[in-house]
Amino acid sequence: MTRLRVQPFDEKRIRISGIPPVLAFMLRELPEILELRDSPDAQTRLFPNPTAEDEKANDEWREVTGPELRHLFVSAGETVARDLTALTADEAAPQEHQVTFPVEHVNAWMSALNQARLILAAVHEIGDKDMNRTDFDPTSSRDVAALRIHLLGYLLHLFVELDNADEPENPV
Amino acid sequence: METGQPGTILIEKIEAKDQLSTPWNVIVHNDPINLMSYVAMVFMRVFGYPRAKAETLMLEVHNRGRSLVWSGGHEQAEHYVHQLHSFQLLATMEKSDA
Repeated sequence: MTRLRVQPFDEKRIRISGIPPVLAFMLRELPEILELRDSPDAQTRLFPNPTAEDEKANDEWREVTGPELRHLFVSAGETVARDLTALTADEAAPQEHQVTFPVEHVNAWMSALNQARLILAAVHEIGDKDMNRTDFDPTSSRDVAALRIHLLGYLLHLFVELDNADEPENPV
Repeated sequence: METGQPGTILIEKIEAKDQLSTPWNVIVHNDPINLMSYVAMVFMRVFGYPRAKAETLMLEVHNRGRSLVWSGGHEQAEHYVHQLHSFQLLATMEKSDA
């Protein structure tokens, strides 16, 4: 088994390699998960209020920023969905998968992965306790959702590490 | 705004002046899903904070449930809250007590 990696493939492209079958399956499901962003629970999480108590300000905010924010989220999901059509068997380990995409899509990938995690959590009411559980019931939809959140989170963390590598004090 | 009612104009002017002069705090709230590393990265990107400050604020969010991440003018606070929402962080703004 090769190690899951997110790294520059060349100057203009990023490659995710060593994607295990279970994560490849989840990535293919990503567009479907993102379509749940319009469910009431997901909406509440993805479009939060800007104030704790000022209902008038909150309503105005939603009206003004909501469409732009939604466009940003939808656009990121569409970019990643297009990139995922190139998900193929890994050259180094055919039982695993890889996908290569333009470096400009990195932000879209981080947005889509995080959206999917937040949507899964909102729809399945996943909280702190669920995220920190060590037991797992494969017949529980909430446990499966928490597992998906963790796996997508690991991939997101690799993207953050890639971003950190761009810092001046940490040259690649 | 010209309303033809002097009293109304005065109140609006006072409110507008108040909006400009009172500092606003941008608060980020904890949630169990966002990764700690992701939150620190967002602070670095949105505010341009150095890693050490971004990680300190991230840990404050994680340990205390919320952190005051920026304070200043109303318009800029709105801009930052919008930016933080675009990165899917739970952010609010409130008038500073100070």
